[in-house]
Parts: sequence; structure tokens; C-alpha cells
Amino acid sequence: MRALRRDLSIYLSIFGMTPKVFMAYQLWFWIGLVLNTIGMAILVFFWRAVYADTDSVAALSLQQTLTYILLAQIFFPLTDVDLIFDFGFNLREGNIIHFLLRPINFQGMYYVQNLSSLMMRLILQIPIAVVATLLFGLQWPTDPATWGAFAVSALLGFTALFFFHWFLACLTFYTTEVWGLGVLIFGMSLFLSGSLVPLTMMPGWLQTVVLSIPFAQAIAVPVSLLTGITPLIQAPLVWLTQLAWVTGMWLVSALFFRVAVRKVTVQGG
Amino acid sequence: MTRYLSLYWLFLTQRLKVLMEYRANFIIGALSTIALQASSILAIWVVMRQVPDLNGWTYDEILLVYGLITLAKSINHMFADNLWTLGRQYIRSGGFDRFLVRPIDPLFHLLADRFCQDGVGNFLVGVALVVKASVALGIQWTLLKALMLVAAVVSGGGIFIALNLLTCVTSFWIVDSVPVTRLVFDNHLFAQYPLTIYPKAINILLTWIVPYGLASFYPASYLLDRSLGNLAWAAPVAAALLLFLGYRFWQFGLKHYGSTGT
Repeated sequence: MRALRRDLSIYLSIFGMTPKVFMAYQLWFWIGLVLNTIGMAILVFFWRAVYADTDSVAALSLQQTLTYILLAQIFFPLTDVDLIFDFGFNLREGNIIHFLLRPINFQGMYYVQNLSSLMMRLILQIPIAVVATLLFGLQWPTDPATWGAFAVSALLGFTALFFFHWFLACLTFYTTEVWGLGVLIFGMSLFLSGSLVPLTMMPGWLQTVVLSIPFAQAIAVPVSLLTGITPLIQAPLVWLTQLAWVTGMWLVSALFFRVAVRKVTVQGG
Repeated sequence: MTRYLSLYWLFLTQRLKVLMEYRANFIIGALSTIALQASSILAIWVVMRQVPDLNGWTYDEILLVYGLITLAKSINHMFADNLWTLGRQYIRSGGFDRFLVRPIDPLFHLLADRFCQDGVGNFLVGVALVVKASVALGIQWTLLKALMLVAAVVSGGGIFIALNLLTCVTSFWIVDSVPVTRLVFDNHLFAQYPLTIYPKAINILLTWIVPYGLASFYPASYLLDRSLGNLAWAAPVAAALLLFLGYRFWQFGLKHYGSTGT
């Protein structure tokens, strides 16, 4: 009888594991929504306090700034490229050897994978977009031409950033460090992408610095087009600049990869 | 107590030896948190250039609030970061079981197992901000104010650790407690700014329910001789109470722990 009870208790524990796994994913989704809401709430209250005694900051009204900030939060997945962590994982597990041997362009494979992840992440942002609209009064742009200009700019910006991340991820071939490097890049991207403050509020020298690093191409540049901070008439010039970024970063990342890949030291697998 | 202190020292020296084997990683880890904080501070600086104050709080006063919460967070980050990984790295893999067969307290073992070097960056940023703000604001330091500064940082660290402990215990039931811990932990972001910019409900939340405000806004108010500052003396009491509750909840969770069988 005691043995039966013992066996039952073991099987019950095993039975309980699967619901825990399912619950973990569900939990992450809902808690992610709450965390995003907290992040947005802090920004909204902060900006409302900034505008408490003034109607305009750097020629932007409170509504314009809030629209920019909230849209920048919603489209923040445009900066989510996981190459550093992926490279680190593949080095640790030894999978990188298999990827390098496959008869397919390694960089091309990763680009398509990251583009697909971006689509999924943007779809998963729909609930937070609803929260931003209902809770924080986000006013969505309605002009289809503006959305078209934004879509082209966002894709170009994401592509430029992908190649920049590719360049940074190649550093893991030398350092083997992943976590710190990943957090360092994320920390830099928070400000340099323009997701916390519109570029127009920055002093001239800081704008120059921010615009000479690719992070801003993925958030500040497309979201400024979407919110009208950058007039629609300037869209072709914006795209051309971004295209130059894409070409430059593609060349630099591909060349650096050819050099860095010789340093690959697989740690396990 | 002496035994645990000497044991902690042994764990720490072993960990430092490991970290020093990968010096570049150690430096990048510490720098990473500095970059993260620099982003937010730079954003505050850009905005505060445009307006004289934020609900009556000047740029340097906001830096003091931000610096205090960063210092308190760094205590938790350096000495109790392993609470985050309890479910993912210890319970899921079955590694937690080895803590249970050793002749030391499992919670102590978990905390001592890993000193987190990333917290050093937070600590340095916190010190730099408090010193910068103190000099710029011309704070007249008295014995009581110095005592308050130490109490705020230590108690603030205690509040962070206790709230993370209370939430990480859920991993004994749901394995991965990170979402639950983040749900509470992320509220500290409110306390990076003066609480007066938020509605009353958020003030109540940050003072009485998840009292991160006691680690930043209230001690900063005390150091600046502002109203509400005396509430900062509640921080040590809140920290002690939360740590007691956290440890009792940990013991309760431990009794219900069933290994994952990995």
C-alpha cells in the first residue's frame, strides 16, 4: 500500500509538470503585457509632468510627444535582433559548425529568421497598442501615405540594424562573452534608438552622435515620419540615407565576419 | 553567524577567482549596467534642459532620487541576483537538490553561490549620482543625514531582496518564477523619479505595498529637508518585516518542494 502511494505521488508530480510548462508561456504573455503597461505608464506620467507648466518643448506639443513616445514603444521590436545571444548559444553548443557547413548563405538565413521574428513580435504588440490607445489616449496617424513611408523606412532601418548587430555579434568570436555584451548593446540602443526622447529635443551635437550610429534608423527615423515630425515630402531623402546605411553596414558586417570566423572556438557540443 | 560569514567569504573568493579568469567578461558585465543607466540618465538630462523642474524637482534633485534607488538595487544585484535564477537554473535542472543534502542553509547557499559582477556597475553609477547631486545641491551633511543615507541604501537593498525572495519562492510550484518576480520588481522603475509626478494610487503602491519609494523618494526628501522626508525612517522597519516574511515564505515553499525529477 505504501509503495502504491509512493508511486502515485511520483506519477502525480510528473502529471503536474505539463500544465506548469503551458502555464509558464501563458503567464509570460500576460505578465509581458502588464510590464509593457508599467513602462508606458511611467513614460506618460513623466512627460505629463514635463509639460505641466509649458505648452511646447522643442516645438512639440504634449500630444505630439506622447504619440511619438508611445509609437516608439509599440514599434520597439524593430530594434530586437537577437544575434549576439544566438551566436553565443551556437558557440557554446557547437551548433555554429553545422550552420557554417550548410549549403546556404549563413547571413541570409539569419536575416530571414529575424524578419520573421519581427513580424511575430509586432503582431504580439497588438494588445499593448490597444492598451496605449484606450488607457493613454494614443492618437493613431490615419494617412495611408504616411503609413507607407513608415513601412519602407522601418524595413530599411531594421535591415541596417540587423547588419550592425551582425558586426557586433562577430565580436563574440573573440570575447566569448554574451550576456554583458548583449545588455551593453541593449542599454545603448534604449537611448540611441530615440525611443526615450524625440531627436528634436536633443542638442545639435547629440543629434549628430545619435544619427551616426545605426540604432536611430530603426526607431527615431521611421517613427518621426509616422508622427509627422519629419514631413512626408522628405521621405525619399530619408529612404536614400537609410539605403546608404544598409549598403555600408552590409559591406562592413560581411567583411568583418570573413575575418572573425577564423577565430571561432567552439566551447562544447 | 561567524561560520556563515567565513563561508560567504570562501564562496566569494572562489567566485572572484572564476571571474578573474575571464577579465574581459568581468569588465563588459560591469560596463553593461552602466550603459543601461546612462541611457536613462541621458534622457533625463536632455528633457531637463528644456524645463526648469519636474513638479518642483530640479535636475540634480531627480538625480539624487535616481542615484538612491540605483544604489539600493545594486545591493540586490550584487548579492542576491541568484534569486532570479532559482527556477530556471537550479529547480528545472534538479541542481537545487544538492543544496538540500549539504549542512548549510539552502537559501544561504543559493545566495552565496554567485556574486553578480554586473551589480558593480549599478553601484558605481549610484555612488556617482549621489555624490554629484549632493555637491550640486550643497546638501549640509549632519550625522543624522549620513545615517539616513546608509539606512536608505541598506534598507532599500533589503526591500529589493525581500520582494524578490517573496516572488522567487513561487518557483517551488511553477518552476519558472521570473515572470512573477518581474511583475513586482519592475515597479521599482516608478521610484526612479519623484513620486509626486504620479497619481495617488501609485504613491500608495510604492509606499505601502511594494515600498520601493522608501529606498529613493522618501530618503531624498529627507536629505533635501522636504516634507514627507521623515517617512524615510520607516525603511528599516519595512525591510526587516519584508525579509522576515520572505524567509518564512521560503521555508513554507521549501516544505512543498518536489524535485522536477531531472
